[in-house]
This record gives sequence, structure tokens and C-alpha cells, in this order.
Amino acid sequence: MTTSFDKLSTGDTIDGPSFAVSRESIRLFCDGSLDYNPLHLDDNYMKNSFGKTNFGGIIMHGMNNFGLITRMLTDWAYPAGAIHRRLETRWVKPVKPGDTIQPVGIIKAKQTTEKSRWVLIDVLVKNQNEEKVAVGEAMVEFPLTA
Amino acid sequence: MAQAEVFETDFWKDANLRKVWDEIVPGEPRKTLPYVLTKEAIQLYCRSVGENHPLYFDEAYAKASPYGGLIAPPSIHILLMFSCTPTDDWMRTPGTVNAGQSWSYNIPARPGDTITLQARALDKFIKRERLFVVHDNVFFNQRGDVICSGRGQTIRPM
Repeated sequence: MTTSFDKLSTGDTIDGPSFAVSRESIRLFCDGSLDYNPLHLDDNYMKNSFGKTNFGGIIMHGMNNFGLITRMLTDWAYPAGAIHRRLETRWVKPVKPGDTIQPVGIIKAKQTTEKSRWVLIDVLVKNQNEEKVAVGEAMVEFPLTA
Repeated sequence: MAQAEVFETDFWKDANLRKVWDEIVPGEPRKTLPYVLTKEAIQLYCRSVGENHPLYFDEAYAKASPYGGLIAPPSIHILLMFSCTPTDDWMRTPGTVNAGQSWSYNIPARPGDTITLQARALDKFIKRERLFVVHDNVFFNQRGDVICSGRGQTIRPM
């Protein structure tokens, strides 16, 4: 069913796609994003400690979370004629090969302005152990014509 | 077009030319390069996050949509950040850890667009013995329209 601004309520959820993280998926993200930081490529390098943190092996790009959240939001917004306008994220926990991650959105508020209508959405990404790996918030515009 | 012909995937190369935290001056523009965004680059990025929407892949579908043609997903700035900066840009320093981002979207980037970037470090600080830099960025198309703007924080390697 197509989403409309009027029918949305606080607490409604948006289910995002499940994403299986592997060494291959991380490598493909290197090629897709041109981000070849050794954090995502080089197991020997990742034996080092970073300040107090030792990741113990390569980690997924944080921006892979960002791309996955974006995919959830646009797949939800396009059929409604709505426009993804803003996304803010921060990473909570590293994601590693073998993990499966999935974003979810929760409608936080609706706001009507002089010329448009906006939906504020809390977003989070969980891994297979129900641990939060990324959190954030998004803003989707529902133009008056939508 | 002042665009690197082949993207250097070895981020250790030129690592000694990149500014460390001490040398990064908040407010100083970063060097950037114009970049022609191709359909192939958009679709490779899409595949890497599982994007399969026909607005990115199906010309006939996209042409009949309100967008009037193929577009890139909003998150394409992830790719543009590296394609619009030279190899000595400090964003490429091995061990740079992304600590969070916020992006605002105006209009979509499209295949064939020549993208330019205005970017700078905006602020730097130390928190819990970690060295942070705040960067801000605006991407434009060849008509000077804003595509998106964003701000992020990275933790610099020590």
C-alpha cells in the first residue's frame, strides 16, 4: 500500500533490507565508493590497535550503513512521490564479515511548514544479535502535490 | 577534464604528502577535482549496497517517471567524496575512522553530470585522547545547482 502523509502516524515503522556482510561485499563497496582505506582491506594492518581499539580484522565501511539506510528511505519515499531530504548517522559498533545487518525506520514526527510537509524518522541498523550498529535520523519531504 | 585517468587504490601511496591533524587548518579549502559521473559508476555503487531501484537502472522507467531520466541515489556522495579529491587529500589517510555524517539533499545527480566539490575542514578538536576533524562539503552539477551538502567527523590516525 502506498504511503501518504495523512495516513502516517508516530511509531509507524519502515522495514529496511537485510544485508549480508562478507569480505566480498566489503571489497565491492571499496570498488563502488572508491574508499580503499586499509581498514576495509588489510588484515595485517588491522592487527594494529587504533588508540584503545583493536578491531581484530577488517571492518565494513561505516558509510555502507549510510547507503543501506538511504536505500530503505528512498524505496519507501519514491512510490509516495516523497523526497528523501536529509540523513544524519553515527556508528555505534563495528560491522564485520559474517554479520547480517538490517536498517529500520520509526516515524518520530510530522511537520507542516509554509510550503511543504515533512516526516522525521528515527533510523537504526541492527546486526544479527539485535545489537545497534548505527543510529540516526532522517527527514523526508512530502510535497503538497504528493 | 582535470580528472584522474586511473583511480589510485593504494591509499599508502602519497601517504607522506597528506596533512596530519596538526597541519589541517580549519577554514582552508581542500583541493578538489571535477568528475564526470557515469552510469557505470552509479550502477557499480548501487550494486555495492544492493540498490536495485529502476530509477538507477531502467532508462525507459526513469524517463517516464517524474525524474525524466536515470538518476543516482542520494548517497552517491559517498563515491563523489573520493572521486572529486586528489590522492594527497587527507580523507584518504589510512586509518581515518568515520565518526558520523549528516547530509542534506537538493536535486539528484545524473549520469553525465560533471560534478564539482567545494570542501574544507571546518573545525578540529581533541576528545578522550582522540583527534577529530570536522569536514564540510557541497557538491554541484555543471549548471551550478547544489546536489547535496554535508558535514562529517573523522578520527585522525595517530
